[in-house]
Amino acid sequence: MKKMIVFQICALILVSGSLSLMIIQTDVYERVQSGIVEVLCLSCLKLEPKTKSDFIFETTNGEPHPDFVIENLTKGVIFLHFSEDACPGCDIMYPIIKDLFKIEFGKEDMVYTITNFEGNVIPYYYANLDHTNELMRNTFSIYDKDNIKGLPMFSIITLGYDKGIIKPYYTTLYGSLNLDNDSDRLNYLIELLQQSIEIYAQNSEGFHP
Amino acid sequence: MRFQIKRLTSQILIFFSANLGALGFQTGFCYPFFYCNSCPSATSACPLRAIEQSVYKGSFYWKLLLFPILILGFFGVTSGRGVCGWACPIGLLQRLTGKIARKIKKNPKLKKIGQHKIEKYFRYIKYLNLIILVIFTTYIIGFMFTDICPIGFLTGTIPTLILYPSKFVPNPFFWIALIIFILFLILIFMIERGWCRYFCPIGAILAPFNKISMLYVSPVEKNIFDKECIHCNACVNSCPMGIDVINMNRDPECILCGKCINVCPKNLIKFERV
Repeated sequence: MKKMIVFQICALILVSGSLSLMIIQTDVYERVQSGIVEVLCLSCLKLEPKTKSDFIFETTNGEPHPDFVIENLTKGVIFLHFSEDACPGCDIMYPIIKDLFKIEFGKEDMVYTITNFEGNVIPYYYANLDHTNELMRNTFSIYDKDNIKGLPMFSIITLGYDKGIIKPYYTTLYGSLNLDNDSDRLNYLIELLQQSIEIYAQNSEGFHP
Repeated sequence: MRFQIKRLTSQILIFFSANLGALGFQTGFCYPFFYCNSCPSATSACPLRAIEQSVYKGSFYWKLLLFPILILGFFGVTSGRGVCGWACPIGLLQRLTGKIARKIKKNPKLKKIGQHKIEKYFRYIKYLNLIILVIFTTYIIGFMFTDICPIGFLTGTIPTLILYPSKFVPNPFFWIALIIFILFLILIFMIERGWCRYFCPIGAILAPFNKISMLYVSPVEKNIFDKECIHCNACVNSCPMGIDVINMNRDPECILCGKCINVCPKNLIKFERV
């Protein structure tokens, strides 16, 4: 009996000590909070967000567009791509995005590159929320148009005309775009990018950041 | 009876605390029980989700694997599967369906099935669920358990569809998950605590801790059953987990609900603690 009590107390000290150390010394608490609790798990839900490609001016939380977005809008339509490590939807979309912009990158990388799409400059940003910085996390919240908080998420930011002012004008897409195969997904993105570039061309001359 | 009211109060309070996310209270902890982090009002993460993320498609993030296991280990060392009986919202749901399950159990055919000698082997399914569906398939091919999880369907999918009916559409796993969810409902109405007994992977993690937990159910004295038990079987009949209480010794299925303690006419059973 005494042996059992000693064993139980040792087990309790070991478990609670290790748990406390993990919370204090590692980033696991923050990672669980930001990566599991705050980001919506679409696999757990067995649902996909409805894809609506409508463009809007207002950011989700009313915050201003980030400086890097305003800066890059002078170059062309911006494409933002958000993902995370463990995400089946993200895995479906990686090859499509790589094919769309003819680029290569690692899942955990943070990428900013100027790409060429049908002769047009597209600043492309890729952020894995498990590894990215605070700026990109905030950007994710700013462009989460339908307030889904789910991944993968793609934002296309162009320029639009609103009450006499040329402003950033964006749409956000989620998941695997509610489409069944890769070629449909690729074509959908191509058409949307072409449409964004057309709107950009109509308004870029009047954009003075 | 007052003891069971205390347990019910605990279950209800913990159910509400598990849903404080509705008030913006979200933590980085994992629940020590089964509840979906995709519930619109979830406070914490599902421990199985954290385990799955840690081994997703050949990756290995030891911190994400160890974190939920240590949280469950803490509760396991102190109270074994007490969490299942006192805290788990799915346990609370099965407490509500248990009355119907008890009535159904009286059907002679079902009674025969319930007492069949292979029934005890069904209890190993939850360990297989944990090892094969939660860990192995996630490591080899990606998420599997979360895609079909009936608890995720109940606590995540249904509330989300009610709150945001126009925001989402079903993914390819939705219909499979719906069928499994219906089977889950049939199970918990047919067999008292059927999910906890046979399928719950979190129960599988907590169950071995019953062997070393500081709090457990035991006879008031050694060999007291041999001397004073009148073999009324009240304890066995009241046990929601279907345990042979008289012959049990720190049974891995015991959820510390205390029903056997309440019903024993000779008061031969008690909670034992260090």
